[in-house]
Amino acid sequence: MLNIRDKGAAIWENWNRTKRVTFVLIVITIVAFLPYAGTFPATSFLNTPITSYQAVLVYPIAMFVLMALGLNIVVGKSGLLDLGYVAFFAIGAYTMGILGTMTGLNTWEILPIGIALAMLAGLILGLPALRLRGDYLAIVTLGFGEIVRIIALNLTQTGGPNGVVGIPNPPPIFGEKFGLDDHAGYFWVIFVMILLVIWMVRRFTIRRPGRAWEAIRQDEDVAALMGVNLLVYKLWSFSIGAAIGGAAGVIYASKVMFIAPDMFTFNVSVLILACVVFGGMGNMWGVILGACILAYLPERIRFISNSRQLVFGLVLLVIMNIRPDGLLPRKKREKIKQKEAK
Amino acid sequence: MNFSVLSSQFWSLCLQGVALGFIYVLISLGYTMVYGVLRLINFANSEVVMMGTFATVVAEVAILKNVSTSDPLHGFRLVYTLVFALVFSSLICGLLGVLVELVAYRRLRALGTNRLASLISAIAVSIVLSEAARIYTHSAPVTAPRLLEKWSFGEIGGANFRVDTVMIILAGSIIFFALDRFVNRSRLGKAIRAVSMSEENSKLMGINLNRVISLTFFIGGLTTGAAAFFYTTVYETTQFNVGFNLGLAAFTAAVLGGIGNLRGAFYGGIFLGVLEQFASAILGSQWKSVTVFLVLVLVLLIKPSGIFGEAVQQTRT
Amino acid sequence: MNKKIQRSLAVASAATLVFGVSAVSSAMAAPKTVYLAFQAPLTGPNALTGQDELTGAKFALSEYNATNPAIKVELVLADDQGDATVAASVAPGIASNKTIIGLIGPAYSGATQASLPAYKAAGLPLISMSATRVSLTDPKAPVNGFPIFKRVVANDKFQGPALVRYATKGIATPKVYLVDDVSAYGAGLAEYAKKTITSAMTAGKDSVPVNTSDYTSVVAKVKASGANVVIYCGYAPDAAKFVKALRDGGYTGVFASGDGTLKADYPVNAGKAAAEGSRLTAADVPFENLVTAAQMTAFTKLTGVKVPGTYVTSTYNATNIYLACIKQGKTTRAGIQNCITTGSFKGVAGDTIKFDRYGDIIGGAAVGAFVIKDGKISYVGVA
Repeated sequence: MLNIRDKGAAIWENWNRTKRVTFVLIVITIVAFLPYAGTFPATSFLNTPITSYQAVLVYPIAMFVLMALGLNIVVGKSGLLDLGYVAFFAIGAYTMGILGTMTGLNTWEILPIGIALAMLAGLILGLPALRLRGDYLAIVTLGFGEIVRIIALNLTQTGGPNGVVGIPNPPPIFGEKFGLDDHAGYFWVIFVMILLVIWMVRRFTIRRPGRAWEAIRQDEDVAALMGVNLLVYKLWSFSIGAAIGGAAGVIYASKVMFIAPDMFTFNVSVLILACVVFGGMGNMWGVILGACILAYLPERIRFISNSRQLVFGLVLLVIMNIRPDGLLPRKKREKIKQKEAK
Repeated sequence: MNFSVLSSQFWSLCLQGVALGFIYVLISLGYTMVYGVLRLINFANSEVVMMGTFATVVAEVAILKNVSTSDPLHGFRLVYTLVFALVFSSLICGLLGVLVELVAYRRLRALGTNRLASLISAIAVSIVLSEAARIYTHSAPVTAPRLLEKWSFGEIGGANFRVDTVMIILAGSIIFFALDRFVNRSRLGKAIRAVSMSEENSKLMGINLNRVISLTFFIGGLTTGAAAFFYTTVYETTQFNVGFNLGLAAFTAAVLGGIGNLRGAFYGGIFLGVLEQFASAILGSQWKSVTVFLVLVLVLLIKPSGIFGEAVQQTRT
Repeated sequence: MNKKIQRSLAVASAATLVFGVSAVSSAMAAPKTVYLAFQAPLTGPNALTGQDELTGAKFALSEYNATNPAIKVELVLADDQGDATVAASVAPGIASNKTIIGLIGPAYSGATQASLPAYKAAGLPLISMSATRVSLTDPKAPVNGFPIFKRVVANDKFQGPALVRYATKGIATPKVYLVDDVSAYGAGLAEYAKKTITSAMTAGKDSVPVNTSDYTSVVAKVKASGANVVIYCGYAPDAAKFVKALRDGGYTGVFASGDGTLKADYPVNAGKAAAEGSRLTAADVPFENLVTAAQMTAFTKLTGVKVPGTYVTSTYNATNIYLACIKQGKTTRAGIQNCITTGSFKGVAGDTIKFDRYGDIIGGAAVGAFVIKDGKISYVGVA
């Protein structure tokens, strides 16, 4: 089968620094102009029915890419099955909602607080949960996701089922306004965050934490034997993933100006996880591709309205059967190692 | 906090909890059997339950033409309706289980891919099943006819031994112990246990792996279908989204007891049923699931592989 | 609603979704047609509500278009599934479509709340037929619908007390057990119902999340509390399960619920015996009680529906308010907005509809009282 991932990697390896920098700059420019793709005739096929294309580009597409990258650190890089990723998204969103309406802080000031609180939640959950193995971790994280939603639903401080209304939009930066209709601005902010995450993950991967995660993913016992402190590195991976989820939540709440517990159901966790696995676990480019497709597809096929979730499920099932490692799987070399380790 | 309810309703809550627990037990067998053999969460099982509830309605309404929601059946007709609906629902769910394995697991297993891929394909199957049911029923709840007249055998300490409660507890126990004996005593049961101990060795011993795995899914489906029948008979209504909550509860029960372990699923299910009743009576129904998960986390911290532990042979990896 | 009509509606709505965009752009050339958006759950778990309401809007439009008016009006369907997240992503698309001059809906309060920012920014007038959350028209709420939001339905501040009044009617010493479903709608209604339940009348309160299947522990609590009136604030499927569990558990008192339960499938799902005598209220008076026989025949002919569902009356009223303004030649959002805010309109019951500053009908809309009799919903009168 065609292995785009290896081909791409081979081409990349053969390029020198100038070529790489130019390529990256071109890609960044193209992506930065995506919000306007709907207005050009050549690319207007991208337009989505009913919902506006620019809005779809921000949520779900860019937001899903960001969260899928975050979850990929947990699931793809270190092999910890997290079924409650929505919890961190919710914590970020509620931090923005409550602080934004109660205090005079603006979005950019709340962003670090939201990230910190999500990380803290990651630590609090991780300390007991990460001692558990595999599927036990899955059910505990799933439970945590539901608990966060139920608590938000039942506390008066979080607005109960009504949620938080009147969350302020972010103040302008560099003259770029963030009104309700300025989707492009939000897109660029999330795009910058995505670039930061990509950069961060690439740095991690080639350094100590990346190697530790890889070892944990392949075989925990061997990793422990080789002197990797399992709990510490698992906690790292968990809370970095949580931080990214929290950041996405802050931006989301500040964009839609209204949040309610119904927005943070188990379905969101499943969708983000599906993005990761569908695209190619462990490989960032695959994850990005997966998130783009899974976020965009249901919006694009809104015209079949009633059965679009059904079609979505069928597509997911067929693709998983044809390409079980995802659309762009991680390097073959790693896979062979993985098989040997079994 | 409301403890006053305990004074008059303590035994009633216990009895209802056990009855609810038996439904959880039967569904959690669908998770625990598959987990024991494949070490995979059978994520589509929750939607198998949902399909089972609809199969029960089809058997009762479309095939046996019972439509009244207020006039219960009597005598021979009641017996054969109950038995037929139970068998029909179980068979449909058993076959559905086999089908789920075919489309979501088999190919991926043959390719030897990571476990998450089959998790996602199972989730995809759940989406397809629940969406198909949603579209077919126009999202509307579907009502099952009233079969049992809800008369009572009597009350002991405020606990009302109603006929449906007693039926679930008796029939649930029979099904569970039959399954337990089957897995422990019969040839096929031994094959299932052999595969769960070691796939490779059992292949060497001449066991047809695919057939054993299909059989496991079939048996898991059978008990799940039975649970769906009891659910529909007691609550007399179903909807395309009943699967999620039931599946989640049953999976939690399986983990509480020690997943992969049949008796663990039994005690886990009943414990969970009773816990849910008391949590919603004392703390308020909205805190029920939070209580359940906190208890789950505590149990796992103290005993990392559930109250009864995984079956010894499954502590590999 | 029968299945056939639902299916054909689904096809029609799907067709509108596909062709809506292109039809709208060609509309620029033909200024004789204007568009009204209709936002409600048309698919998803709450689809029944939206499909019921849609018949009211379609009927009002067909009556209007049959008079060969100078300005034709068409509907654009916006399906928000009754879900706030979906509404938040659908609303900007509707708001940016400048040929839409008014919106009938949104049907659900949560969806309304999520859509408001987009519609406010675009100045699109809204007239909701069933969003009853108090805060939407509360001047003190952090975010209300002012100035674009209006509603032709009584809000929970009226419905809550009316529900309690009706539920306890004729009972010498009522002991009320209040149960809500922790949804925005149920908890909101329960909050205002609770305010009129005196402490002497209070037997207890519980909140049971939507989609719970086992109500036995709630039944145990109701019985332990000695309540003789149970008020449920939530939707029909859960109310059906709850009332069945109550009756099977031996509870013999009154069971009452609000407009969420007032659905034709409630007595069917609960079973005739269990549902019998349930007291229901809704900020709605049945359509067939208000229109002429000729109109009813025309309604059935157009929609294929024999018994109009809940909120058909209010949807019909909401649509007619827009049509009255369009008849006056108002074809811009600002014109419509001004017309609705200052005008006075006639409801189908012959009542006068005039909105106060924050969007409620002056004098309040009627709350109807219903009872389940012989497995059917029957209208009793104004609660």
